[in-house]
Amino acid sequence: MGFEKFLFYVFAAITVVAAGMVVTRRNPVHAVLFLVLAFVSSAALWLLLEAEFLGIVLVLVYVGAVMVLFLFVVMMLDIDIAALRGQFIRYLPIGLLIALVMVVNLFLVLGPSNFGLELFAKPEAQPADYSNTVELGLQLYTTYLYPFEIAAVILLVAIVAAIRLTLRRRPETKYQDASKQVRVKKGPDRIRLVSMPALKEKSK
Amino acid sequence: MLEDYLHILIFLAVAILIGFAPRVLGMLLGPRRPDPEKDAPYECGFDAFESARMKFDVRYYLVAILFILFDLEIAFLFPWAVVLEELGTAGLLSMSVFLGILVVGFIYEWRKGALDWE
Repeated sequence: MGFEKFLFYVFAAITVVAAGMVVTRRNPVHAVLFLVLAFVSSAALWLLLEAEFLGIVLVLVYVGAVMVLFLFVVMMLDIDIAALRGQFIRYLPIGLLIALVMVVNLFLVLGPSNFGLELFAKPEAQPADYSNTVELGLQLYTTYLYPFEIAAVILLVAIVAAIRLTLRRRPETKYQDASKQVRVKKGPDRIRLVSMPALKEKSK
Repeated sequence: MLEDYLHILIFLAVAILIGFAPRVLGMLLGPRRPDPEKDAPYECGFDAFESARMKFDVRYYLVAILFILFDLEIAFLFPWAVVLEELGTAGLLSMSVFLGILVVGFIYEWRKGALDWE
């Protein structure tokens, strides 16, 4: 148990430090990379909780895909860091006030009065052949079937929205369409014959 | 149970070591005499034109977000595949509905040409 506890504290410390770096780095690309580190160490924490599937999905989906998206967004936004820094002192008091209110809020909701260790018994140790993924699957596709199908609809909405927002035709780009090239007929597609009366070349 | 993941922990430790050791060795052993010319970004001999943090075309974003959506779809398939035998026909039907809804989106993006890179 001692080694597990040690690992928990190591990964928890990495998560907290990385999360702190996310909000303090000036360069937004560095902030995103620290967010990746925070996600990876949270995945390790979930593995310590024996939630393998969730841990792997966190790495697969968040680190593999969502962070790439974040990087693209950061690069697309083209944030002017110097201009942001100029406003920092001006908005510091109200920012501190809001941060304080949120910390108090979080403490009241998540603090020891609601989530204290004495309120929750230690979960019983599972047998060696226990699989978290099996339990998750049995719950997800029976009890939570309706939210599961709703998730499909939300994904569909996201597909349509992303395409509508970002896809645009670029008429100025030139490219070959192989299927059109193959379908060209010998006669009218290549040469257009125009019937016209004979013309006599004018004398100079 | 958790002992099975010891390999991964060892792997992580080795990976971190391999990542850090060359840099630390380089810092300790190599001479370091930086000057502005050396620290400047190298661009084939002439002065750098602009910052490397330039704006990206939005179409990369589209590729990334379409990848995420189908990545999530795959993530839902894993626990389903593990318990398919227990779920039986109902499980097959529920996943068919799920995939059917997403196939609508797939057909939409295909027909719209979102998968083509002009």
